[in-house]
Amino acid sequence: MDWASLAEWTLKSFALIFALLGGFAYLTLFERKLIARFQVRIGPNRAGPFGLLQPVADGIKLIFKEELIPAQADKIIFILAPIITVVPALVIMAVVPFGPPIQLFGRTISLQIIDLNVGVLYIMAIASVSVYGIVLAGWSSNNKYATLGGIRSSAQMISYELALGLAFTGPVLLTSSLSLAEIVEAQRHIWFVLYQPVGAFIFWISTLAEVNRAPFDMPEAEQELTAGYHTEYSGMKFALFFMAEYIKMIAVSAIAVTLFFGGYRGPFVDQVPLLGPIYFLLKVVGFLFLMVWVRATLPRIRYDRLMAFGWKVLFSLALGNAMLTALGVLLADMFQNSLWLWSIPVTTIAFFLLVAYLMRGSIAGGNR
Amino acid sequence: MSEQMILTQTDLAERFPGKVRRDERKGYEGYIVEADALLQVAQTLRDEMGYDYLSSITGVDYLPDGYMESVYHFYRTTGGPALVLKVQTPRDHAVVPSLVSLYPGAEFQEREAWDLLGIRYEGHPDLRRILMWEGFAGHPLRKDWREPYYEEDAKPFKSRWPDGHVYRIEDKNPFHKNVDYPPDFDPDQWVADNDAALYASLAKIQSTLDSSLKTDTVIVNMGPQHPSTHGVFRMVVLLEGETVRALKPVMGYLHRNHEKIGERNTYIMNMPFTDRLDYLSSMSNNFGYALAVEKLMGIKPPERAEYLRVIMAEFTRISNHLFAIGSLLNDLGAYFTPMLYAIEERELILDIFEAVAGSRMMCNYFRFGGVARDLPEGVYEKMRDLAFERLPRRIDELDLYLTNNEIIRARCEGVGVLTPEQAIAFSASGPLLRASGVPYDIRRADPYSIYDRFEFDVAVRYHGDVYDRYLVRLDEIRQSIRILQQALRDLPQGPILAGKPQYQVRVPPGEAYGRVEAPKGELGFYVVSNGKPNPWRYHVRAPSFVNITALETMAKGNKVADVVAILGSIDIVLGELDR
Repeated sequence: MDWASLAEWTLKSFALIFALLGGFAYLTLFERKLIARFQVRIGPNRAGPFGLLQPVADGIKLIFKEELIPAQADKIIFILAPIITVVPALVIMAVVPFGPPIQLFGRTISLQIIDLNVGVLYIMAIASVSVYGIVLAGWSSNNKYATLGGIRSSAQMISYELALGLAFTGPVLLTSSLSLAEIVEAQRHIWFVLYQPVGAFIFWISTLAEVNRAPFDMPEAEQELTAGYHTEYSGMKFALFFMAEYIKMIAVSAIAVTLFFGGYRGPFVDQVPLLGPIYFLLKVVGFLFLMVWVRATLPRIRYDRLMAFGWKVLFSLALGNAMLTALGVLLADMFQNSLWLWSIPVTTIAFFLLVAYLMRGSIAGGNR
Repeated sequence: MSEQMILTQTDLAERFPGKVRRDERKGYEGYIVEADALLQVAQTLRDEMGYDYLSSITGVDYLPDGYMESVYHFYRTTGGPALVLKVQTPRDHAVVPSLVSLYPGAEFQEREAWDLLGIRYEGHPDLRRILMWEGFAGHPLRKDWREPYYEEDAKPFKSRWPDGHVYRIEDKNPFHKNVDYPPDFDPDQWVADNDAALYASLAKIQSTLDSSLKTDTVIVNMGPQHPSTHGVFRMVVLLEGETVRALKPVMGYLHRNHEKIGERNTYIMNMPFTDRLDYLSSMSNNFGYALAVEKLMGIKPPERAEYLRVIMAEFTRISNHLFAIGSLLNDLGAYFTPMLYAIEERELILDIFEAVAGSRMMCNYFRFGGVARDLPEGVYEKMRDLAFERLPRRIDELDLYLTNNEIIRARCEGVGVLTPEQAIAFSASGPLLRASGVPYDIRRADPYSIYDRFEFDVAVRYHGDVYDRYLVRLDEIRQSIRILQQALRDLPQGPILAGKPQYQVRVPPGEAYGRVEAPKGELGFYVVSNGKPNPWRYHVRAPSFVNITALETMAKGNKVADVVAILGSIDIVLGELDR
């Protein structure tokens, strides 16, 4: 390892972390502005032009706020919990490629911190770590709401991670690789969402649960648990939880884009590599917009129904989807004809409709 | 109907000779029952005569005559006027049998009467203070109870600078601050133990829980600071996992003794004061109070005033229900979007209130025998536009987006069920009662003002769950729009006040119970006059307060998340609940 690649990694890591932190700050503003528009309001417009300095004002407020630690709290874990939550959110993006390799100072620089050959596994592993932060925060606060929020969170994560993991298998099977760079490369001609419509759908729903966004924001459930696991947190520690949530929103959107929507791929990317990050950003913003839209629209699902939905519907859908994808890939291999891959969307959508028909009314309604 | 009523009424005195006698005092109605016969009489009323709905329980302290009176207003859910029972009991040993065993809806009202008047209801299952804190000295609604910095019995108070010399009332008080500590009391060492009784009553339930698994329960205090309790309201919930096993509401954090202040005020001073009860629907509060006092005075408002009253009351209902639906959705976790869409329409209604009354929320618009002001120019057109064009369209829009939403149905259907029998027994009123399949609307059952002239349907649904309460509110908005359309069409010209406006009204001695179908349920004002400029007794039968009695029954067995939805579906306002 020479000093140049070390410097490259360091610089790229810094750039990524700053991009994520800045992205977090402006994502909060983006969300507030957008929700305001959904609600016939104007939204923040006092700090700076169009409220652009609002995140700065929020940051200053949070930094100078008094940080309280409850007397009966387990202090070490109480302080550790937000860190455990925020660090995975930051490092998860390390394996996501956000542009094609570019030539700079005579070096080929790949726009990705590192191309792990088990990138998908890495994402799965890291994404699950942050739930520890939430559970520990809930437990160490010595607060009943927080404990309930923490318990809800762990239950929710476990039931959604299965469907999420199975949704990952679609692109992996189609590429026969766990490397994200190769998955993106395999989507040069066609986005995997076309082969994997059901998989992408499952992925998106489970990521909503994974990052605790509405309508699955059970662990915080303002109306029931005041603020759930972060009830007792204030100041910067609270901001860390907040940061983790929003950075994870960016991260899962980026992963969704990478797995199903061609990553940084788009017209003329091969000629002008710098277009890659721009396409990537636009796609990610599209996903973020969807998340905000859902939050502005839907009420929260009840906890027990969420579990039922996760285990009974989403898990079975994801299992069927993985099986049918494997079948399609197998057929394409056997007949040496990639047209067979088109059997995947046909069979999976049919399976989706079948499950939806069988499950109708068992999740929503029909209980009186 | 009315003939039969008279028949049954004469029956009552004959049926219990020596125990029941007619109330012969001038301006009074109903019967005076001996305390030991109360349960028996109430049982007959409920089971044989059909008076299944106990609307109001309160007490009156007749200090000059040396006795207390517990007053009951019974109604039939099939409609018709009230049957009033009274039990007289000595002031120094005020004991009356409790009616909770027959009418569970009496629970909180009896606790209130015990708390504020010191009438002990024998046989009440959980007779604790409800609005004041445990350990409060005395019963504030008794006429000989005096607060710190007491000035005079009745307003208007005498001048504080009679000879140009200003004094502070605090300095004139012989007890200085009128605080009256027990002999060995040290305020620094004192720890509030007001929750001991509360937790004890929960522990009793805890011990009776039968669980085959070895599980543990946890007590969670939801509130007083909680985002979904609609104010400073507290629910102490006994949880097993996330399932509610018992729930005790705790209230009174905003208590200001509305009734004591009301008894100090002159009659007209109370009009703006009623605005502060259910501050989301002040016009309806005005309406109820005006009706009660007008009954005492024996006057009727002119035609145009009646129409204006109905128009304002129905607009209030619409704005209140919009707010209720919006906040119910908020409680379900929808992030303010439905709420703000509902509020947008409410703002337009408040614009009208501002134009006619000068204030958007604290309207103070009604007067005894009419209303305060006529419509300013252009308001009539605005109201027409709202009632005929905008509101029907926007209500359909709400209906379209909310009613069949999968998540809303999943969260609301079958949650917090109240059967019709329970609803009647708990004295529930308003949308809560009608969603349980009891088509009881005072505007129809016991018409007041000019409601008998309008064509409208009593909104009723039959499942008694949160979803039906939502639907009933939606239906009621539509019916209110119908009434508004008719009232605006027929609005006559003419005077808006009987007689000339006056600051001091003369109210002959007597009692009156004026009740209206307020948006949240039956709002009753029980007013006793002794001919002086101030009411001798001024009691508010607040719908939020009585409806909350059924909360525990509805919440038991549901999840924590449902409790919030159920509370939201009752639609309480703390200004009225705590008074």
